[in-house]
Amino acid sequence: MKGKLACAVLMAPFFLLLVTVFLIPTGTAMWLSFFAADQPGLGFGPESTVFVGLRSYGAVLSDPTFLNSMFTVVLYCLLYIPLMVAGALTLALLLDSGVAKLRGWMQMGLYLPHAVPGIIAALIWLYLYTPGLSPIIDLFAKADVRISFLGIDTVLPSIVNIALWSNLGYNMVIFYAALQAVPREVLEASVVDGAGPVKQALRIKAPLVRGAIVTVGIFTLIWALQLFTEPMLLSQSTPMISARFSPSMYIFDAAFTRNNYGLAAAASVILLAFTVALSYGVTRWTNRKAG
Amino acid sequence: MEITFWSALRGSQQVVDAFNSSQNRIRVVFQQIPSGGQGGYAKLSNAARAGNAPDVATIEYPQVPGYAIDGVARDITDLVTDRLKQKLLPQALKLTTFDDRVFSVPLDVEPMVLHYRADLFQANGFEIPATWDEFAALARTVRSRFPDKRLTLFPTDGGTQFACHAWQAGARWFDTSGGKWRVSLADEPTRKVAAYWQGLIDEDLVFRNAGDSKQHDAQIGQDRVITRLSGAWDAGAQMRARPAQKGKWRIAPVPVWDEQVVGTHGGSTFAVTKDSRQPEAAMEFIEWQCTHPDALTARLKSGTSSQYPVAPGLVEAGAKAFPGEYYGGQDIYRLFQQEADKIRDGWVWGPRMTATLKVMQDGFAKAGAGAGTVIDAVREAQSGTMPDLKALGLSTEEGAR
Repeated sequence: MKGKLACAVLMAPFFLLLVTVFLIPTGTAMWLSFFAADQPGLGFGPESTVFVGLRSYGAVLSDPTFLNSMFTVVLYCLLYIPLMVAGALTLALLLDSGVAKLRGWMQMGLYLPHAVPGIIAALIWLYLYTPGLSPIIDLFAKADVRISFLGIDTVLPSIVNIALWSNLGYNMVIFYAALQAVPREVLEASVVDGAGPVKQALRIKAPLVRGAIVTVGIFTLIWALQLFTEPMLLSQSTPMISARFSPSMYIFDAAFTRNNYGLAAAASVILLAFTVALSYGVTRWTNRKAG
Repeated sequence: MEITFWSALRGSQQVVDAFNSSQNRIRVVFQQIPSGGQGGYAKLSNAARAGNAPDVATIEYPQVPGYAIDGVARDITDLVTDRLKQKLLPQALKLTTFDDRVFSVPLDVEPMVLHYRADLFQANGFEIPATWDEFAALARTVRSRFPDKRLTLFPTDGGTQFACHAWQAGARWFDTSGGKWRVSLADEPTRKVAAYWQGLIDEDLVFRNAGDSKQHDAQIGQDRVITRLSGAWDAGAQMRARPAQKGKWRIAPVPVWDEQVVGTHGGSTFAVTKDSRQPEAAMEFIEWQCTHPDALTARLKSGTSSQYPVAPGLVEAGAKAFPGEYYGGQDIYRLFQQEADKIRDGWVWGPRMTATLKVMQDGFAKAGAGAGTVIDAVREAQSGTMPDLKALGLSTEEGAR
């Protein structure tokens, strides 16, 4: 009895937060996506709230600007996630192998960018990317290299770069912690069997931290699909980032520029469903490979 | 009695002061807000949602139908007296009337004109182009003689400027005559205009960057762009932005295709919002602002405005109050008057114009960078607008695309 009470008390904060910051907003979005304040005809008459079924969903899915934003974010994931996982794992393996000197300083230096809030990071990079302000562009210009970080083809890699800079260190720490848990006797056995440091890293260590790789991959995926802060800020400086660049920006634009809440709500639910389905798919796929 | 008034228009404070001292029944409390695109419209929408929109709000023509549909702009048909109606240009009032109901009162109407560098035109023997063909020919001459100069800018953020060109050519992007929103952004006249500007872009005869940018400021300031295509209001904005170019600019009619007609570029209207508790007082203030000579005089005396009043009776007061030295004493108000009479009938703005123009401008920016074309941008704007209108529950129909 006492155990049950303790359990309830300890779990209560979690469920309270789950309900107030997740379930209620999600429920509201669902409701908003099925109802609308309609006026018939040209729309200048009095409004009445009616059930509109899947109308808002149909509108979102038939909107080429929304489909473009989905395409953009998928492309972003394809660029960003492999680079992030491979980069963080490589750094963690290097630190773990003992090749790196001053390990503590290296770790701190790599982790520090993660402590910078995303919006500040985007501002710093915005400064470095903007022609006329950026010392980097000036430096390249002195060497007669004209470089544009915010051009039509470079803007997506530029955003990937900001995200990598922010998150590489954090994920490296997760991998490093996982590598610390690899049993030493397994490593010693591999040395005895003739594995060099590279072979050991790729064939022994990496497979043993598979769980961490999958976790990092899924968290990175969920985070990446919500791409918003960086492009939103960069859009101030380049017309190559439209107001509907990513799905989250599309939702923001629908709600606050177009005052179209049904559309914004439907797009939110679609993005949520897409994210859930994709994470579930990835989990299933990796589990099956493991089994 | 106190009413509140929000506006981004320059010289509004002077107008409010003049109104407050002209009588003692109504006191207007004025708040200067950012221009629409800079957050002014978001501020108005949010206030309306929270139920505390000002009594009187300033809304530009393209945004009037949107605010009317959202119920922010009140239906003021019964408050617009015949006396007021008779004082206003009917073609302007038509732009704020939907379904036979009036949703806002126009303040100024801004025919597009050609602002040009008279000094450079004279020094090089350039003639003022009367038609778009002559304009293109002049663009070629300018580029071949001065490789670093261009005749004008194709503003990649200039959705309203492009709309004005289309309007002049006879386009009808939106049509409500059938009781539904018929959307045909890429109709035949628009395709003609798009092809024309695409030609100028392909031949590298115009600059193509944002108009509202440091880059364009530099282009004008360094004498590298020698004409500007914009509404009459821009004469005042130019005076304020570049006092050093005093005496160098003059204004001419905008080039035409074959008919002697023009479109409008810019212009504002005043709406009474749904939250106003004193709509009659709000209307009295609006009527005074739009039709009283003292209102226009106060605004123009601020030295930063050159609005062309929607009440023809005020033109004389405007001509008198406008400080004319910047334009070498040219009687620009007589020119504006002559151009305002040529405004083409039949244009209707759409229900989500800010968003429609934004999508178009995203395409223009790409076209300016060599990816895609002007007409692609127009088509993208249409396909990015239809879902929006459908989700609002409006009856829609797609015309030419």
